[in-house]
Amino acid sequence: MVTLRINELDVTLEEGTTLLEAAQFLGIEIPTLCYDDGLSPYGACRLCVVEIGKEPKTRLVSACTYPVEEGLVVRTHSTRVLQARKMLVELMVSIAPRSKTLQDLAAQLGVQQVRFETRDEECILCGLCVRICKEQMQSGAIGFAERGYRRRITTPFDRKSEICRTCGACIYICPVCQLRCQGPKPPTAICGSCLQLSPSCAEVYDDLMCYMGPAGVCGTCVKAPNK
Amino acid sequence: MRRLQDPATLEQWREQIRQQQRPEKITVCNGTGCHAYGCEKVTRAFVEELEHQKPGRSIEVKATGCHGFCERGPIVTVYPEGIFYQQVKPEDVSEIVRKTVINKEVLERLLYVDPMTGQRVIHESQVPFYQKQQRLLLGANGLIDPTSIEDYVALGGYGALAKVLYGWSAEEVIAEVKRSGLRGRGGAGFPTGLKWELCRQARSDTKYIICNADEGDPGAYMDRSLLEGNPHSVLEGMIIGAYAIGASRGVIYVRTEYPLAVKNVTRALEQAREYGLLGDRILGADFSFDVEIRRGAGAFVSGEETALIASIEGRKAEPRQRPPYPVQRGLWGKPTVINNVETWANVPLIINQGADWYSRIGTEKSKGTKIFSLVGKIHNTGLVEVPMGITLKEIIYEIGGGIPRGKRFKAVQTGGPSGGCIPAELLNLPIDYERLTEAGSMMGSGGMVVMDEDTCMVDVARYFMDFLRDESCGKCLSCREGTERMFEILSRICAGQGRPSDLELLEELAHAVKETSMCGLGQSAANPVLSTLRYFRKEYEAHILQKRCPAAVCREIVSSPCQHACPIGAEVPVYIALIAHGRFAEALEVVRKDNPLPSVCGRVCHHPCEAKCRAGDGGEPIAIRALKRFLTDHAPSLGAPRRAVFPTGERVAIIGSGPAGLTCAAELAQMGYRPTVFEALPVVGGMLAVGIPEHRLPKKILQADIEAIKALGVTIQTNTALGREITLDGLFAQGYKAVFIATGAHKSVRLNIPNEDAEGVLPAMEFLKAVNLNETVKIGPRVGVIGGGNAAVDAARVARRLPGVESVSMIYRRTRNEMPAFAEEIEAALEEGIAIHYLAAPKRVITEENRVKALECVRMKLGPVESSGRRQPLPIAGSEFTLDLDTLLVAISEQPEIALQDSQIRVSPWGTIVVDPETLATDRPGVFAGGDVVTGPKTVIEAMAAGKIAARSIDQYLRGVPLTPEYALTRPSRYLEPSVLSEDELLTARRPPMPVRSSAERIKDFHEVELGLTEEMAVQEARRCLRCDLEIQKSQAQSAREVIAR
Repeated sequence: MVTLRINELDVTLEEGTTLLEAAQFLGIEIPTLCYDDGLSPYGACRLCVVEIGKEPKTRLVSACTYPVEEGLVVRTHSTRVLQARKMLVELMVSIAPRSKTLQDLAAQLGVQQVRFETRDEECILCGLCVRICKEQMQSGAIGFAERGYRRRITTPFDRKSEICRTCGACIYICPVCQLRCQGPKPPTAICGSCLQLSPSCAEVYDDLMCYMGPAGVCGTCVKAPNK
Repeated sequence: MRRLQDPATLEQWREQIRQQQRPEKITVCNGTGCHAYGCEKVTRAFVEELEHQKPGRSIEVKATGCHGFCERGPIVTVYPEGIFYQQVKPEDVSEIVRKTVINKEVLERLLYVDPMTGQRVIHESQVPFYQKQQRLLLGANGLIDPTSIEDYVALGGYGALAKVLYGWSAEEVIAEVKRSGLRGRGGAGFPTGLKWELCRQARSDTKYIICNADEGDPGAYMDRSLLEGNPHSVLEGMIIGAYAIGASRGVIYVRTEYPLAVKNVTRALEQAREYGLLGDRILGADFSFDVEIRRGAGAFVSGEETALIASIEGRKAEPRQRPPYPVQRGLWGKPTVINNVETWANVPLIINQGADWYSRIGTEKSKGTKIFSLVGKIHNTGLVEVPMGITLKEIIYEIGGGIPRGKRFKAVQTGGPSGGCIPAELLNLPIDYERLTEAGSMMGSGGMVVMDEDTCMVDVARYFMDFLRDESCGKCLSCREGTERMFEILSRICAGQGRPSDLELLEELAHAVKETSMCGLGQSAANPVLSTLRYFRKEYEAHILQKRCPAAVCREIVSSPCQHACPIGAEVPVYIALIAHGRFAEALEVVRKDNPLPSVCGRVCHHPCEAKCRAGDGGEPIAIRALKRFLTDHAPSLGAPRRAVFPTGERVAIIGSGPAGLTCAAELAQMGYRPTVFEALPVVGGMLAVGIPEHRLPKKILQADIEAIKALGVTIQTNTALGREITLDGLFAQGYKAVFIATGAHKSVRLNIPNEDAEGVLPAMEFLKAVNLNETVKIGPRVGVIGGGNAAVDAARVARRLPGVESVSMIYRRTRNEMPAFAEEIEAALEEGIAIHYLAAPKRVITEENRVKALECVRMKLGPVESSGRRQPLPIAGSEFTLDLDTLLVAISEQPEIALQDSQIRVSPWGTIVVDPETLATDRPGVFAGGDVVTGPKTVIEAMAAGKIAARSIDQYLRGVPLTPEYALTRPSRYLEPSVLSEDELLTARRPPMPVRSSAERIKDFHEVELGLTEEMAVQEARRCLRCDLEIQKSQAQSAREVIAR
């Protein structure tokens, strides 16, 4: 068994548990996009980053892939974490501005405007479809092609797959392509109308104990970084 | 061949090889760089020549690995004397064999010339490039044939392995490596001994060793040279490492773009197996280990250890998050130690010489030496191996020989694409892992790309981001999307489309990418952006706010570098194209549109346009100044003055009739104002009239430009000085609505040496002024001039022409290379018989009855490099000498001398007027200032630019609109057909030398020295222009077509 401290709470868990599972065990909600209970962790969307280590040598790691360590100090909603998540979500919305899932996430984290040119695509390359196809449907019909900014999901050689059973699992699990945000605003504006429920509180609030319910998920207490 | 069964047989074999080796041999560098120069032919030529000339004894020709001095390849060394020849061609070989090998003569012409001393150097160790190096790893490269295990063994090879296998426990090996302080040379600098210990402690039946030879940084090739030049040293290190951690298998992961490395390593593995140094029961001991080669397809990310393992296992090279670390779960899930080539090569050294010896080299936390590949804008391109803790300055100036073409050093990029740029201010930074990281860069694998003033840092950041967005594996969002978005923003800035909020966004994004990326590639990908933003923010701001690229690189902003570099934005490509087409009158109109003093600029401008001319990149820049002069010489008239459309009639006072004042007046007159120029002296032109001598700028030429300005409606009043005849309050009271102060900097700065006030010591400026005003000046017969700028050379050349002067000598404290005066002026002065004492500084004036009798000087030597990139002159104690003189002219610098008491104008401690740099407004409304009175002594064209800015600001002020500078992308106003050059013309086109009068003739009078280009010369030269403006016009036309097509 391994004992570690998450958001000032000591918790003892089995070796091999990930930080994400540990946080979930404690009821701390960490946003994820490329994570699914039934699939192997992948660490691609980076949204679940948490801050580990002791000051001043802390760093951010993805909670879904990081195993619990004895004596590890973890903060799931520190200023640094929330600022990073905001930027990540802003990048995601810039790729797929019409995804309601992403728009909601952005609104939850207090992102109000996307500052990048939008691309109007429908894929953030989280790889859930690739993994469900291979790991759950035992098919492996799709995968990643190319690298860097050219990376994309496709069938081998871009041909119609002979092993695809058109089961639809890939579409079922996709966090982005299903829900379209129908808001009246232009695509770069984050409406967040259905989620703007929380008031702004403290400017900086690292060790999270928010009384507003699910700890700190609103993210609205974190302002833009100091210049 | 027999297998070596124990250390004794290895030693026997070693003895045998050593005895067989001949002292006489010729080594030819066969490194990658020298291959490009054709070293193979040179090597073959030696073999053939030796057969042909038959020296009568056996002489071996050895094709060795890289010597590091790639700039000077192919490199040949003749032993036993060790004579070092550079840039050897196959044609030279016959002579080398005949003279050096057979007759033992040194061939002077193939020796290296020390650029500092000008002396020829016979041995490699005397070459400055090698002197500061400590070549523990690379040193052997030049001595051994990489395909011969015998050569390696002869130098003591595999001795460390024998020592370890027979006498050391694995723990002892690890302890020794730990104690040595060796850290990973791949970049991150993890302690090697600790890594081995962790792997040793991991419980597993199988363990692996990997040599990471996936060197992928642009400009870095040290691992390549080690593998190609000395593969056995890497292999020996790996075997020792395998013994230490208990590994039975090893892999060398090398990129397939390194065919020679693959070949030489394959060969080395075969040889080692043959001799029982690899495989079962190595050297007869109870330890078995074998190595295989895996070739990588060349993805940059494959160098990341988890990605590298994935690639070896046959999967796509994508990293995964650590932990588990490879020492826990690596190749095929087993504990694995990965170290890079250079790290492995260090291991036999540590075992042989001991950890204590090793840890004495370097700094507290970074031990040993590091190989850097020194490339870019540097004299001595090549591989350098230096002890940790050496400063950047030592590498760049002492080893690298400084920056070519007299350019200024700007920054060095260390650590490859994911490293950072370190600016000139940090030249004294000692290089080790910690210091580089603190400076915002990293050690990386050791790439060092040197950049000079012609490198745009925004463009550099953009280049690296382009590389990284392509080389990112794309798995994690922050790296894939972050590098792409950073590239997008940087491209926008480089195209002149940057937004003021971009820098903030870029910084925020860069931090997020650094923080949240999964592997080292993403975590360091932001470094080029963050470090350039940290040290070169002003350059970013210039791109975004002022639409300027200070290095004149970003194509979309600069259009033509000449036009962009011109302080007044003269449309150089347009008038040059018109000259090429023979349309001279039109061309002059284009010149005059921006420049009210074309005849002046055609003679004395310091032509920043030519410094940035792309034709000068590896060739000769277009003679832009001479072409402009040609136009003014050949114009039928200076053209009709242009009149303002709506004369406003408002009066503006301009104080000072130098280039700043005249330009401002001409501009204002064309806007419809009524400017009056007040000049303190009896003549018009300021420095142009009294500072620049007749032989460079004849008075009647200046007068012609001034007449043209007067014709625009400018009134000029001489003998009227500020604080004497006029005051600021008085001018406003007289009805002037605005005032521009451009009184220049005329007061000579003092030397601060004893007896400076003696009779016969004159400020050079006053001397020039007196001569120009035809006052009688009594100097000589022996004249000395102190200084190295244009004013000093002018004074010397004028003195040379005065009757009664017998000798003129100049005293300058640095060397000719550092002299700020124009090169052609220095050359002309020397031709006219003026002596220049370089590296000498005045110490005191020796007087007799308070008259100059002599000047005591002290010899200087060039010391360490200052942050300006010039070497600091230091006095040599006891080297004093005296120069007998009758007159001493002092021209070290000038400063303004202005009477501005109680005028509400702020003056700096240096006597210059303080203004807003963008609008030139002083603290007092309606009063503007510019030129030398604001900047201290600068150039004519910079003063003219100030005059233009002042005119625009005065116009805005008088119209009652806010003072806002306007900035636009540099563009030519019209399109002109390019000239088509024939093949012959392309081959023969050269910059024409300026026709001048002979030195014997010209020193007799003050007539102009330069005669100007002939029409034929001018047209030919104009046709040579590369017409950089067309590139951008074409791409704009293209995008316009695309828009229409849509």
